[in-house]
Amino acid sequence: MRNFLINSKIIDKVGVLYPKGHLDAHSVDKFEKEILNVMNDGINKIIVNCKDLNYISSAGMGIIMGYLDDLREKKGDIKLSNVIDRVYEIFDLVGFTDIYDFMENEESALTKFNDVS
Amino acid sequence: MMFPEKPELSVAIPAKTELLKMLVELTRHIALRNFFSSSESQKIALAVDEAITNVIKHSYGDISNGDIKLDFFCSEKGIKIKIEFSGIPPHLEESSVDIKKMIKAKKKGGLGVALIKRIMDSVEYRTIDNMNFLEMVKWKKSS
Repeated sequence: MRNFLINSKIIDKVGVLYPKGHLDAHSVDKFEKEILNVMNDGINKIIVNCKDLNYISSAGMGIIMGYLDDLREKKGDIKLSNVIDRVYEIFDLVGFTDIYDFMENEESALTKFNDVS
Repeated sequence: MMFPEKPELSVAIPAKTELLKMLVELTRHIALRNFFSSSESQKIALAVDEAITNVIKHSYGDISNGDIKLDFFCSEKGIKIKIEFSGIPPHLEESSVDIKKMIKAKKKGGLGVALIKRIMDSVEYRTIDNMNFLEMVKWKKSS
């Protein structure tokens, strides 16, 4: 059984990523590759829909951190949605909750992107 | 004595990232069994993940056949996890992180040690005869 899967789709020029499972130093390359694929398509607004993300370590958070400046320079951003409580606690431990928009669901994240575009 | 001399469980593994998930699940299970809350158990497991990732990526680096031994000591006061490995001694000094500066610098790493220190109540490291020993303790809130 695979511990981590990721899919993505483009909705209204926003890249939405769907990581599923356990995101750690072993699976992080798949996550980074998918973010880069979306960015290479010219997309600079990204939502990470975490509804099926059960676990994240600093390896995964590092990728979310590492590309944020590039995206914001292009007037884009990364927003996170549908984060389950125990994963939110991990983001909160390192202060991500002060830096990133954590939205209740994908629709509200899309609306927020569209409101400022 | 805060912890028994004999560990409740000892595990020896090759230094491979594919085993991280198994270690996280094992650690979470041991913490839960020792009456840590679900939230605390998850965080203790994350600290172990970060410590082992650090060993694999930085202490062993290009060494593909490194070994890691973990001892779990449990008592009514808390849990102690002792990690034994060779390779390059870890850098554990970095404990405070400025996320905004790291984002500006486009850094993808550097959060692991800060996470360990935020989660665990004590983190101690020593090297004896080329072997590295990392000890992490988490006390129960009531103790």
